Amino acid sequence: MKLIKDIWDVYIIELRRVLQDKGVILIFFIATLIYPLIFGAIYKNELVRNLPVAVVDESRSDASRRFIHKLDATPELCVDYHCPSMAEARRLMQQRSINGIVLFPKDYDERLARKETARVCLFCDMSSFLYYRGVLSAANTVLLDELQDIELQRYSLAGITGEGADELVKPIPYDDVKLYSPAGGFTSFLVPALLVLVIHQTLFLGIGILFGTTREDRRTLRVVPAHLRSEGRPRVVVGRALAYLLLYVPVVAVDLVLMPRLFDLPHIGRLTDLCLFLLPFMLATIFFCMTAGSFVRERDTGIVTCIFFSIVLLFLSGAIWPQGNMPAFWRTVSFLFPSTHGIQGFIRINTMGATLAQVRFEYLMLWLQTALYFVTSCLCLRFAKEYRIG
Amino acid sequence: MHTFIISLKRELRRLFYEGQSRYLVLTTLGLVFCYVFFLTLMDEGQPQRLPIAIVDKDGSYLSRRLCHEINACQGVRVVDVYSSHTAARMAMQRQEIYAFLEIPAGTYNDVLSFTRPHLVLYSNNAYLLSGALSYRTLATISNLASGAVQREVLRKKGFNESQIMGLIQPIELDTHLISNPTANYQPYVLTTMLPGMLGLFVLLLTVYMVGKERKDGTLADWLAPGTLPALLGKLAPYTLWFSCLGILGNLVLFGWCHFELHGSFLLVALFTIGLVAAMQSTAVFLAAVIPDAHLSTCFAAIYGTLAFTMSGFSYPVPSMPPALQGFSLLFPLRHYYMAVSRISLFGAGFDLCYWQAIALLVFLLTGLAGGLMMSRQVKSLPQSQNAV
Repeated sequence: MKLIKDIWDVYIIELRRVLQDKGVILIFFIATLIYPLIFGAIYKNELVRNLPVAVVDESRSDASRRFIHKLDATPELCVDYHCPSMAEARRLMQQRSINGIVLFPKDYDERLARKETARVCLFCDMSSFLYYRGVLSAANTVLLDELQDIELQRYSLAGITGEGADELVKPIPYDDVKLYSPAGGFTSFLVPALLVLVIHQTLFLGIGILFGTTREDRRTLRVVPAHLRSEGRPRVVVGRALAYLLLYVPVVAVDLVLMPRLFDLPHIGRLTDLCLFLLPFMLATIFFCMTAGSFVRERDTGIVTCIFFSIVLLFLSGAIWPQGNMPAFWRTVSFLFPSTHGIQGFIRINTMGATLAQVRFEYLMLWLQTALYFVTSCLCLRFAKEYRIG
Repeated sequence: MHTFIISLKRELRRLFYEGQSRYLVLTTLGLVFCYVFFLTLMDEGQPQRLPIAIVDKDGSYLSRRLCHEINACQGVRVVDVYSSHTAARMAMQRQEIYAFLEIPAGTYNDVLSFTRPHLVLYSNNAYLLSGALSYRTLATISNLASGAVQREVLRKKGFNESQIMGLIQPIELDTHLISNPTANYQPYVLTTMLPGMLGLFVLLLTVYMVGKERKDGTLADWLAPGTLPALLGKLAPYTLWFSCLGILGNLVLFGWCHFELHGSFLLVALFTIGLVAAMQSTAVFLAAVIPDAHLSTCFAAIYGTLAFTMSGFSYPVPSMPPALQGFSLLFPLRHYYMAVSRISLFGAGFDLCYWQAIALLVFLLTGLAGGLMMSRQVKSLPQSQNAV
């Protein structure tokens, strides 16, 4: 009974401390709401559409014009400029007015007429991955379509017609199924990772600020009940963690459950699996932040560290750069942070509909981290100033 | 000039004798870490040997051959061959594979009897980069497989090789990836992101320093020599230091890592200095507008991180909602990206990026405005409060 009473006391004190600190409220409840909304708004359009391209048509033929029309008709591209020469197109590219150039050489039509292989040159803007992907995929789609038309004509000239020609044009056809985000949108890919990161980083920042403020102000006596200062360290840690956990239940519900639905992100996972997964994630994160927060001396250094790590953690998580292609060293480092497993697990459960059994590794790692960081946060408390004074 | 030197001396004293150098050292270390981290994390350039699987329901010579051909591509690596779709889908959800190719039963027979078997390519779009890359390799192989069958059939029909090539490949796409022929992921990301990190650190450090003056009650003392000399004196040492770091960083990227640079390095260096100065000015402005030191740091943090998104190097600005597109102009990193990508990728000269230079200069005015604002704040305070 004493145990529960102690934990309850710490819990109440901590709750009061959080709710009295304007900065922490700002981070816990406002930032967690604003960030997802901002990202949702920025990436609202998901896809890159109507990229401007220039066409240099030296062949000026029926065939090249047909190709250009088809390019213009793709959702990705928009033929905005018809340039008489490459020099002019290059100038447009330098001005960044266009994201690609399509060049039809003089002999384009002649080669087609002679039943040889004609050539189309494509120049891609490489300043962003999405430009490159958009231009290349549109050009390939049109190319495959044109190929089929021309092949059919040539086969019929060669005396192969009807069903036989159709079969010969594409003897092994294939369908492509893009799983989990059929349009390949940028939002569905990045925002889920960002949502988890927002939870992780706001907790880090908020707890860091709470700990840093304690140090700055030396408000020692109100923080830990007197009789717990020597013995009941785990009780203090559990009581505090409980306070953060319960404060974050609505935040997590809004950010990780409501936001994907609000922004029409993929959300095919089972809610029970998600909740079961998020429990160790929250615990591991809270204990991790309580450990890391012990090293925060001032509020402002906490903020700087947090921002710095946000970007590093996003790349370490494997949401952008595949985990298997990281050097072993960074991959090992990434296992230390709850965000890595949280992001991986959330994407897989929420976006890809995996069950808890399929994120077993992440799930176990998070429980392991919970245990590890619980111990470290108890140890850190031992050396904390608030503990020694008074 | 004299007032500037007074101010400069004051700042250097604060820096070296009053323990503020700690933050400068930490920021520099953070920046060095970023360069090392990102350059080593993505040292493959483009992810290679991504794990994929084959669902081989056919179990024939052809399906095995396809499997070998796919495995021979450097982009992917066949880690498993499954006999059922469900098994492959489960593996995908466990993230053991990024894509799989399903070869239905009877494929080989269908090819021989000319009744078009149907392959299915599944790729995981929840991971955009890996999904897209592994899909591309599988699609290429499937197209090549079709081509191989066509060639065999046409040979049997008595066409010669050149006729066959004309028949099965009437048009070829000659793709030039300007200034990044291997579609290396690093130049996309790092040429903007690392200078962005530099800008972020400069922003946060400057906001912190101005906030510290306020906290210590030395605002009046700092601004005493006059607003402009005080600003210049305080910021100049950092402008110099971070510009050197930024230029050094760009030397690493364009020199040591051989990212393509078609324009002049001098221009890139000028824009790096411009970015540093613009970030400092913005920071002074923020610190002046939001007098609460904690709040201004919070705001600078939000503004600084949004800069990465709003610069448009990952998700293009023209694809954002129109209302937000104008918003992107408020971020110096956006102008830096627009200028440096032109210079480095397309070899543009100053004639094509002077607008960006002007934009960065405009940011300097905000710093001046911030300084003036603080001077007025100081004057409006009662003398006793300033003297603390």
